[in-house]
Amino acid sequence: MRALVIPTDERLMIEAAQRDPSRFAALYEQNFDRVYGFIARRVRDRAVAEDITADVFHRALEHLGKYQWQGAPFSAWLLRIAANALTDHWRKTSREAVPTADELLDSAVADETESRAILAEMVAGLPEDQRRVILRRFVDQRSIKEIAAELGRSEGAIKQLQLRALENLRARMRSQHE
Amino acid sequence: MNNAAHLADRLDLALDRMLAVEPSAGAAADASNQIDDREVAALTAIAGELALLPRADFKERLALELDAAANTRRRSSDPRALAAAAEMLPTLFGGGMALPPVSRLNVAASLLVHTLGLAVLVGSTYYVAEHRGLPAGHMVDLVARELYPLPPAPVRPNGGGGGGSREKLDASHGALPQAAPEQITPPAVKVPNEAPKLEVAPTVILSAELQSPKLPVIGDPTSTPLLLSNGPGSSGGIGTGKNGGIGGGTDRGVGIGSKGGYGGGAYRVGQGGVSAPRPIYAPDPDYSEEARKVKHQGVVGLWLIVGPDGRPRDIRVQRSLGMGLDEKAVNAVRTWKFEPAKKDGVAVPVQITVEVSFRLY
Repeated sequence: MRALVIPTDERLMIEAAQRDPSRFAALYEQNFDRVYGFIARRVRDRAVAEDITADVFHRALEHLGKYQWQGAPFSAWLLRIAANALTDHWRKTSREAVPTADELLDSAVADETESRAILAEMVAGLPEDQRRVILRRFVDQRSIKEIAAELGRSEGAIKQLQLRALENLRARMRSQHE
Repeated sequence: MNNAAHLADRLDLALDRMLAVEPSAGAAADASNQIDDREVAALTAIAGELALLPRADFKERLALELDAAANTRRRSSDPRALAAAAEMLPTLFGGGMALPPVSRLNVAASLLVHTLGLAVLVGSTYYVAEHRGLPAGHMVDLVARELYPLPPAPVRPNGGGGGGSREKLDASHGALPQAAPEQITPPAVKVPNEAPKLEVAPTVILSAELQSPKLPVIGDPTSTPLLLSNGPGSSGGIGTGKNGGIGGGTDRGVGIGSKGGYGGGAYRVGQGGVSAPRPIYAPDPDYSEEARKVKHQGVVGLWLIVGPDGRPRDIRVQRSLGMGLDEKAVNAVRTWKFEPAKKDGVAVPVQITVEVSFRLY
């Protein structure tokens, strides 16, 4: 489920975090999936995505005092930092054609980012046994045999759970687009 | 195999292929493009998205890092915190170390516990140093004393005798009476009946081979008093024992044993080639608290028999030191273990004297 954040509330959260940096946790919790999804979609590597995500939130915390509320969502500021971090990353890794931060922040990209954040929420909403199989299979990258041994089920049963979980996610994504 | 199971197998095969290549959206797209089965291709594409989700603990770990960084920033921006930090060690509370913040209460509790622990350690060391008995240096002499000037018996001596007539004086010095296999008249320094109807020479039950120094009067050869006395023993004879012998035993022989003969039940070192026992386990005696306080020192003399098993028995105090040191010496020697004395290669019981020296350094 997507969190419904009223801008005024978000502004209060930002101002609170500017006064007391320990309040930054609320902003982090609210925007993590979105920022991670934006980065992961572009680097196509989980480890690199995690490194850059960590860098983005540390930079945001460091420069939070300079942030000025102008009506735009806080996530836009975070994605701007993420786009800059991606550009820096690609320059360091000698990528031939490095897109600018503005190119990265076009509207289509933002939609994709949203869909990935929603996908993470959808996984969290799966039935417990399906969710465990999905996390073990794709996040921890375990084999069907290992998952079967861990959960005490047959390999056939795990394959069925895997199939049902993916079908479930596809159905939810379709209903989201409709 | 039904359709669902078949689809599950085909999907898993495609997913294995995708994950083996690279768990990325691009790989998933490539994999799904190569799959003719539209159903499997669509699900594989979703799986490719899932493979890019962060690890389960990443979000929480990053949250902790940020929280630590936020706390550091908060302290660094707070003038009171800055002043307090200036008074403390720079890393005491983990500041600037990218670690979770450390509670001051925890630091105080840890300091208290460590201080108490250190105090207990130092205190117990001081207490032990003050109250522990100083090492009781001991010097052991194994002394073979010839109680009776007799040659060794050809067989194991295990007899003895003793007597006396309940006199206040110790038995007087003198020669052994005639040795005989039987005794009719017990020896006596003071003869109770000067004119018996049937006079029989006094004898002690000894082997006829045994020779006694020729002295004008009968008495206990080991005794020193010259005033004539049968000794404080009883039932006739001479000495401190009873039953008509000479010495401290209980029969008509000579010595501290019983059942005639001589010797007291054990060999003596040096007689007939009997070797001395050798202590192989001799723990130090404790110093008695009473003696330690007044710095009482000296030597305790013990008489004992070392059995064929190397264990001491029949321990008696020959030279007392008092203040609890006699008991300490006996208790220590009782735990000793000897390599037993040997005669002709065979372990035999032997009587020895042990001197335990108590000294305060």
